[in-house]
Amino acid sequence: MTLKKATFGKTLLAAGTLMAAMTAAHAETLKIGIAGPVTGPVAQYGDMQKIGAMMAIDKINEAGGVNGMTLEGVIYDDACDPKQAVAVANRIVNDDIRHVIGHLCSSSTEPASDIYEEEGVMMITAASTSPTITEKGYELIFRTIGLDSLQGSLAAEYIKDNIKPQRLAVIHDKQQYGEGLATTVRDMLADAGIEAQMFEGVTPGDKDFSALIAKLKRNNIDFVYYGGYHPELGLILRQSREKGFDAAFMGPEGVVNSDLAAIAGDAMEGVLATAPKSFDQSPENAALVEAFKARNEDPSGPFVFPAYSAVQVMTEAMDATGKTDPYALAEHLRANRFDTTIGEIGFDAKGDLTEPTFEIYTLHADGSKTPVTK
Amino acid sequence: MTETSLYILQQLINGLTIGSTYALIAIGYTMVYGIIGMINFAHGEVYMIGTYTAFITIVGLLTMGVGSLPIILLLALITAIIISSTYGYAIERVAYRPLRGGPRLIPLITAIGMSIFLQNYIRLAQGSRDLAMPALISGGIEFGDPAVFEVSISWMQLIIWGITLISMTSLAMFISRSRLGRACRACAQDRGMTNLLGIDTNRIIALTFVIGAALAAVAGVLLGLYYGIINPYIGFMAGLKAFTAAVLGGIGSIPGAMLGGLILGVTEALTAAFFPSEYKDVVAFSLLVLILLFRPTGLLGKPEVEKV
Repeated sequence: MTLKKATFGKTLLAAGTLMAAMTAAHAETLKIGIAGPVTGPVAQYGDMQKIGAMMAIDKINEAGGVNGMTLEGVIYDDACDPKQAVAVANRIVNDDIRHVIGHLCSSSTEPASDIYEEEGVMMITAASTSPTITEKGYELIFRTIGLDSLQGSLAAEYIKDNIKPQRLAVIHDKQQYGEGLATTVRDMLADAGIEAQMFEGVTPGDKDFSALIAKLKRNNIDFVYYGGYHPELGLILRQSREKGFDAAFMGPEGVVNSDLAAIAGDAMEGVLATAPKSFDQSPENAALVEAFKARNEDPSGPFVFPAYSAVQVMTEAMDATGKTDPYALAEHLRANRFDTTIGEIGFDAKGDLTEPTFEIYTLHADGSKTPVTK
Repeated sequence: MTETSLYILQQLINGLTIGSTYALIAIGYTMVYGIIGMINFAHGEVYMIGTYTAFITIVGLLTMGVGSLPIILLLALITAIIISSTYGYAIERVAYRPLRGGPRLIPLITAIGMSIFLQNYIRLAQGSRDLAMPALISGGIEFGDPAVFEVSISWMQLIIWGITLISMTSLAMFISRSRLGRACRACAQDRGMTNLLGIDTNRIIALTFVIGAALAAVAGVLLGLYYGIINPYIGFMAGLKAFTAAVLGGIGSIPGAMLGGLILGVTEALTAAFFPSEYKDVVAFSLLVLILLFRPTGLLGKPEVEKV
């Protein structure tokens, strides 16, 4: 009996020591989950997110870590598959990780967000642009990438302030992406007192736009916003040039593609478009770009700098609050503005960026683009 | 002229251009139907192969440094016609001739299979991306009052009209004047009897496939240059429109195919002129339904007499 008691006491002691050791280890490293596709068809996008987040973690560790802790990135593979994303999210929760960068594909991010929100894990996605993700009003879900739909408002602002068209036409390809943007542009401009003379759809895959162009010409249109993708806009531009219709054109990211130059030829010169900012081109990030290159990594991917910034804002919030509690961090993220590699950013109540990460570019006939100075 | 009439004139010009190319492709449908009573659903793909051949020829000639426009156009037409006709002939030999005499549904299914095969074959060989045809011919003439509405006809449109007119006239001459043309007409009237009279009907059938393919190739070159981009899927819609044109004009009738093509093109252009342009296909196909309801044999088609 006494023997048993002693053993029990020793076990308790041993357990206590172990607990203490674990707590000590916790105080030294803070694990951050990086969830996205490592395998599968979109693995290259997962790689962009990974190198961005890892670079940020390394830089922060070099500078002494956060609150005396060293950060450690732990990679999880969801293969851009919603089912695997749920499994990954559960594993992250079980691994006692409470800060996640990811996921990448909107379809994976959506189901994973539910789990994180429920289990008190903070998640910042650097790549998912679907508006529905943040519409549920989550507390702990954020993103450091602009929504597709923000392009519409950015374009409308620019048209209103800089173009001031006399006779505007808004054309779209009847698909969710194109018509959605076109409707936003039309409505915002109508609110600003610029009524669209024409608002109509074309059939995706159509090749003959001569009738549409004759109509644009008849309406004396001087500015066309096109919501859609490059094949149709390319043909509209090319055929407009042939028919002597010379209004200015503007489109969303979907038209920015080297194929547009091949289709439209010279008619492409001067077309305006909204596209994600090329963060690797901005002078503030020059040193970082060098650091990526020294590691043989490509910093030009669209998700590299958003992922870097996601780690940045998370650790800045930890620094400022002195806590790692996701709820305290979330409150801090919503209340403050942050200076990051993707510029100065803030978050709204839904966890979305308050400013678009898109910029307006002028496209050129040789396929290059230059940012428009407002 | 008033602004509206100038605008309608412009749309008529656009509609006639597109309509003439529908007519060129429709001939292939209507001739084959006239002789063997089957719809060659792979015909749209033959048109697509014509545009690809033209594309390869034009790009090849341009990189070789040939700058003369008439030579490029002529060589593109000739190679496209040769290659497409070969395909037309091969399709008939491989997919239809072995099945001749079988139930009508069988060649229809092989035709659809052939269409899927050709589309995917070109997609694998040439890639599924849009290819941009070099802009060879630009500019045109403009008339009308610039203050009211300026009507423009591009050189390309004039070339399309010209080449279509030449092709159609030579086809009509061939059918009505030549020995082979007479054999074609005989074949269409009574294939069994024609065979008894010592005419190799298999050769005549192959010939109609070749003629149809050649005209589709001409349309392919013209439309490729007119629109400026090609991809392996253009055959489907073009084929569907041309088939509609053939049925509209009365399938089996060559003048019917010409008329049907022009009517379809003009209807599309005028619809797009006064309604949102997304409705142009809706109106074009509704027109087909209406005509079939009131004239099941099409505009110029003869009522079919049940052969005993």
